[in-house]
Amino acid sequence: MSRDQERGTNQSVGRRTTYGSALKPWYGPDDLKDFDPTRDLGDPGRFPYARGVRSSGYRDREWTLRQVVGLGTAEETNQRLRYLFAHGQTGFSVCGMGYAPYESSDPRSLGILGRGGVWIDTLDDIATLFEGIDMSAVTINQIGSSIPVFAMILAEAERRGLPFSGLHGTIQNVMMPGGEGEELRGNHCLDIIEFCTRHMAHWNHTSISARNMRDQGLSSVQEVAFGIYQGVLTVRAAMARGLEVDSFASRITFFFSAENELLEEVAKYRAARRLWARLMRERFGARDPRSEFMRFHVQTSALSLTLQQPLNNIVRGAIHALAAVMGGAQSLSVNSFDEVLAIPAPAAAMLSLRTQQIVGLETDVAAVADPFGGSYCIEALTNEIEAEVCTILNKLENMSASKAWELMAGEADEAGYRRQREIDEGARTVVGVNRFRIDENEEEELGLEPREVFTYDPAWRDKQIARLERVKRERDTARVLDAGRQLAEAYRARENIVPPMLEAVKAHMSIGEITRLLADAGGWEQLRSRHGFYISNLY
Amino acid sequence: MQRIRFLLVADSPGHTTGYYVVARALREAGVEVILGGYAQAEEIVETAIQEDVDFIGYRIMDREPLAIVSRLREVLEHRGHGGIRLIVGGIVARHDVARLRALGVESVFRPGAKLSDIVAHVTGASAR
Repeated sequence: MSRDQERGTNQSVGRRTTYGSALKPWYGPDDLKDFDPTRDLGDPGRFPYARGVRSSGYRDREWTLRQVVGLGTAEETNQRLRYLFAHGQTGFSVCGMGYAPYESSDPRSLGILGRGGVWIDTLDDIATLFEGIDMSAVTINQIGSSIPVFAMILAEAERRGLPFSGLHGTIQNVMMPGGEGEELRGNHCLDIIEFCTRHMAHWNHTSISARNMRDQGLSSVQEVAFGIYQGVLTVRAAMARGLEVDSFASRITFFFSAENELLEEVAKYRAARRLWARLMRERFGARDPRSEFMRFHVQTSALSLTLQQPLNNIVRGAIHALAAVMGGAQSLSVNSFDEVLAIPAPAAAMLSLRTQQIVGLETDVAAVADPFGGSYCIEALTNEIEAEVCTILNKLENMSASKAWELMAGEADEAGYRRQREIDEGARTVVGVNRFRIDENEEEELGLEPREVFTYDPAWRDKQIARLERVKRERDTARVLDAGRQLAEAYRARENIVPPMLEAVKAHMSIGEITRLLADAGGWEQLRSRHGFYISNLY
Repeated sequence: MQRIRFLLVADSPGHTTGYYVVARALREAGVEVILGGYAQAEEIVETAIQEDVDFIGYRIMDREPLAIVSRLREVLEHRGHGGIRLIVGGIVARHDVARLRALGVESVFRPGAKLSDIVAHVTGASAR
């Protein structure tokens, strides 16, 4: 390696976009020959929403500061949430809820209870999770799409006397293929959409997790194309169920990543918004502007974080956060620098929150909507990304949904492998990993390692098992049996599963019991394919 | 020469990127990779015996590494197959590496590991 290369003057990264096109050394009017600002941009808050969904940008409403939390039992997670709320967090986002289809007392919970997110068995745990938190004042994000957990959140709100229609939040529900007849009965993803559309005007019933696929190593174009494809499937399915487009489309949200390529990322968000608006208006006949504009949450990249010199991840997180804000995100979670080691320690979680606050309150990027608008470079990239997305979208739409899912998963696996090879071969620079690496011991001497790392407490499992046993002792057995019978009947009859689920969780059935009951009613394979109870690919 | 047989398993169902990346790298190096997927200790050992593997590779992401590797070691010994070689990859804290090695884990590949190092370990191209 020459000295120039070592100094980074002959840097290869940044020369190409993640989707492979060459970045030019500069952009000018020639790159925007057919560009019509009125048609292609509009003002912020105006169709086609390339410049953002609000004319005031962040002036009237800041993005939601929504750090992901999930550790130990409901008690530990509740404490961490309240700590973050006390320091300026504004959104609730909890991971782990309902991702294991068995009870805490099952041998399979060994070593995972409390390390893979928060553990929830029954409604009792959800009540603890929300203790001291005003459910009507925060926006509640449910990571994963467990229907028992969704029902528990509703049941807790009901216990507090809060009407469902007044709740604000999001369920990470993604439309999956499946369902019987024209109305796709028995498709529980659609059951959630239908229930929310009828009863929860402020609840985002769909959150399309393009981010999690992106974080396997996909390009920005693939991220947007796969996300919008899933959005199109959602709209089609909901219309098949008999819902009118403007009744549900405004509650479809997207979930994107923010990667290192800042310019490309800003263009990506703009292109995604513009394409979605055009599709909604032109193809699906949406009339309500809220159905046309794409709102999205960003969780910053985990893929680009490194175990080596982990404090460097703080800098990466700040760059990712800037991209999200300059791209017009509605909600943001900055991954903590120590996530390559474990669940974030309190100090690391706080730093992520501070990153957001510094971007929002100390810099000027949030003062102006779409600050990059009109830049030759950003507009050219926005056009290019939109065109490339359309090509992939056409391909996906010309195959069956199940084939399309296969293709997307295959592309993600391929991307992950290619990326790792590029890092190993030095074709993609990762500071501290394949360039500017220092010895682990030296890292420690320099103080580049975190002072505190999350430690797992095996006692959480004992505590949780005791809680579950207490709930089972105290609950009304006749009510459990009755609710269980009704749930199984609704399941077999392909009725909307949410109302009987609500009764089941109110009777204090555990997620493990509910899953087993449904598996008995329909078999594991059916349960898996009908999604929502047994989350294997989303968590 | 007989191909090396390698059982690759994971501690949880999600976050599969690294799992498939490693599987592919080993296959391209001529290793016979058996994808055991998300499995518990008893199932892992049962598959390892049935498939007559030389190695178990354990992807750890969500679970506490010491708890599940201890359990795996226990079941391996109990079934009389303590000789199956074991490597671990994933989210493992530095202070756990030595403890895992004490449980007979030959190598722990943490984020930033090179595929060529993992392959070299398995195919014996590097000194252990």
